[in-house]
This record gives sequence, C-alpha cells and structure tokens, in this order.
Amino acid sequence: MSATTLERVRRALAGLEFEELAARDGMPTLGLAPEDVHAAMERLAHAGRFSTCILVTAVDHLPDEPRFEVVWQLLSVAENDRVRVKCRLPGDEPRVASVSDLWPGARFSERECWDMFGIRFDGLADHRRLLMPEEYGHHPLRKDFPHQGIDPGRLYREWDRARRAQQGFPAQHPDELQPQR
Amino acid sequence: MGTLNPVEETGQSGFFATRADFLVNWGRKNSLWPMPLGLSCCGIELMAMIGPKFDLARFGAEAARFTPRQCDLLIVAGTLTWKMAQACRQIYDQMPDPKWVIAMGVCSSSGGMYDSYAVCQGVDSILPVDVYVPGCPPRPDAVIDAILKLQKKIARESPTGRLAGTGEAIVDEGTGVLHMPPNRAVERSTLDLHPHDPRARRAARESK
Repeated sequence: MSATTLERVRRALAGLEFEELAARDGMPTLGLAPEDVHAAMERLAHAGRFSTCILVTAVDHLPDEPRFEVVWQLLSVAENDRVRVKCRLPGDEPRVASVSDLWPGARFSERECWDMFGIRFDGLADHRRLLMPEEYGHHPLRKDFPHQGIDPGRLYREWDRARRAQQGFPAQHPDELQPQR
Repeated sequence: MGTLNPVEETGQSGFFATRADFLVNWGRKNSLWPMPLGLSCCGIELMAMIGPKFDLARFGAEAARFTPRQCDLLIVAGTLTWKMAQACRQIYDQMPDPKWVIAMGVCSSSGGMYDSYAVCQGVDSILPVDVYVPGCPPRPDAVIDAILKLQKKIARESPTGRLAGTGEAIVDEGTGVLHMPPNRAVERSTLDLHPHDPRARRAARESK
C-alpha cells in the first residue's frame, strides 16, 4: 500500500468513517458504508484531487450477505496515483448513491452496473439499460442467472410475431426451423 | 473461329437452344451480389475475400452493395446476438427474391464458443441457411469454397418450378446440368449433398 497516496486519502477523508482494506495488487483500497459513499467521493474528487472515475462495477458474492460489492476506481492525473473504493450492499433492492454528478463519465458505468447486476444508483438521471434490451427483465451477471439465459430468444420472437402480423405473413414461415432455445 | 459463329457459317442469324431453367440459373449463379453482414472478426476475412488478393471477382460475386435491396446473397459473418437478430431478419426480408444465405464461421452457424444468454445459437434459428462455413474465423478460401458450393446448389434449382409454384424449388437429379459443356460439368457426387437432401438419402438406401 502506497504510503503517500494513503496519507492524501486520509487527509481528504478526515472525520469520515472508512476502513482500509488489504488488496492483493497493492492498490490503496477503502471500504465505506453505503450511506457515506457520496460524501466520501465528493471529498476524494475535490480535496483528494482524484479527477477521473475509471470504473464503477460490482461483484456478486451470492451465498454471502451483504450480497453485492460495488467497486469504484479513481485516478488522480495530477498525482499519478489510484485508489479503489468498495461498498457492500444487501441482496434485496441494492441501492447506492450515484457519483455521476462528480464524474459525468460514470453514467455509462452505472447504467451498465444497473443492467448487469440490478443495482440502483440514487441520483442517476438516466436509468436505462446500457447493453441488454430495455424489456429484457433480468440482470445477467448475477450469480443466480443461468449463463445460457432464461428464454434468450423471447424478445426476438415477440418482435417477429408482431412483424409477421403487420405484414400479413403466417405466424411461422414453413421454410424456417423452430427456434431451438 | 467460324465454327462458333453461325452467322458466318450459314449467312443467317443463328439461334441457341437451351433450357430456361439452365439459362436463368447460369445467370444467377455467376452474378451473385453479396450483402456482407460483418458482425465480428469474420468480417475482416470477408473484406480480404473481396479484396484483390483473393479476388472474388473471379467467381462473379464481388459486387458487395451494402444495401439489401440490391443483393441476393446474405453473408452473415460473425456472432449474431439476439439484439442484432431483428436487424439481420429485417435485412433478409428487404432482399428481393431469389435470395440465398451463407452462415460464415462457427458463431453464425451454431453460436460457436458463445454459449451465452446474449448470442443467437445459429442464424438458422431465424433464417433459412444454404451453406455453412466452419472456422473461427474461416479463411477467405473457405468462404470462396462456400460460394462455389452455393453455385452448384443454384444450378440444381428450378426457377420455372418456383415461379409456377409447383412442388420443390430444387429440381430432381441431373436435369439442371443437362446442357453444360462436358469439361465444366458439375460432379454429382452425393458427398456434396446435405445428409437431409432426398438424393443423399436415396443414395444411402441404394448403397445398403
């Protein structure tokens, strides 16, 4: 753990409760309670000079509770160092504060995190899914989601039925095979 | 020279007798216009195939148009996700008849290594496919081979039967190559047939 980075982080977060976690790669790592996330991030962004939010992602520790762990990685261009921030969230209705007001680029990562893990970010203006179709109805990177999906062709078949009805075709073209899964 | 020119030989304008099916198929199979649907790394091999080194123009299929309305051969090159499947189906629907489909690479043939919630497990679950090309990605030679196989397949079709709406679109054994010059004759090997093709089944029955 880099001492100077940690010193700066400690100074920036003076008065807030945080935990210093050991990371295998040696990157300074903090653990925060969900309600402290936004205040701590604001201090890191301004007093800590962490000008860039590299990523927002999550880890699903399925049998354990609290189940989800949201991970942010911040980069300070001025100081050339990085810090990792972690926060554990409960399995039902995981919510955490959005940092998209501090780093606008975090919007995409937060939308992806909502799409893949179903974690809500309070304060994120645009809560659309990033990758999957809007009506998909599942969060596919959760550990309890089967990797081959739950009826993966459903949205295509619904679209195809509507298209055939609109164009006056029979519901299933005789040339075509039935979708397998 | 003279023997090839009936006008010179007889002093009258000549005519040339053939079957309508053969003539139409000959035109169709030697001027395929591909619609390249490059979805991943296979798209790069597709570009190489159309480029000068592999030179698809030798087989009359280099006129890639990038609009489905002018194309009759859809080459699905790469991983087809379920989200892309709707666009792929729309492209196929917008192509004018007659049209053919090549599934290039394992992803579009079967889903390949992406046994996943997001990937369509083979384009044949949304489109009728004529030729499957294995490989990840296949070399341009393999896709050229697929185009040659497709040409053989087109030569066996019956466009007049398809127009009249009578029976099968693919004619029975042999008739499609009746007037081919002997040195260009399509070998009618049952090895080239799909195992579900009625002629392959008949051959298997007879060999027993």
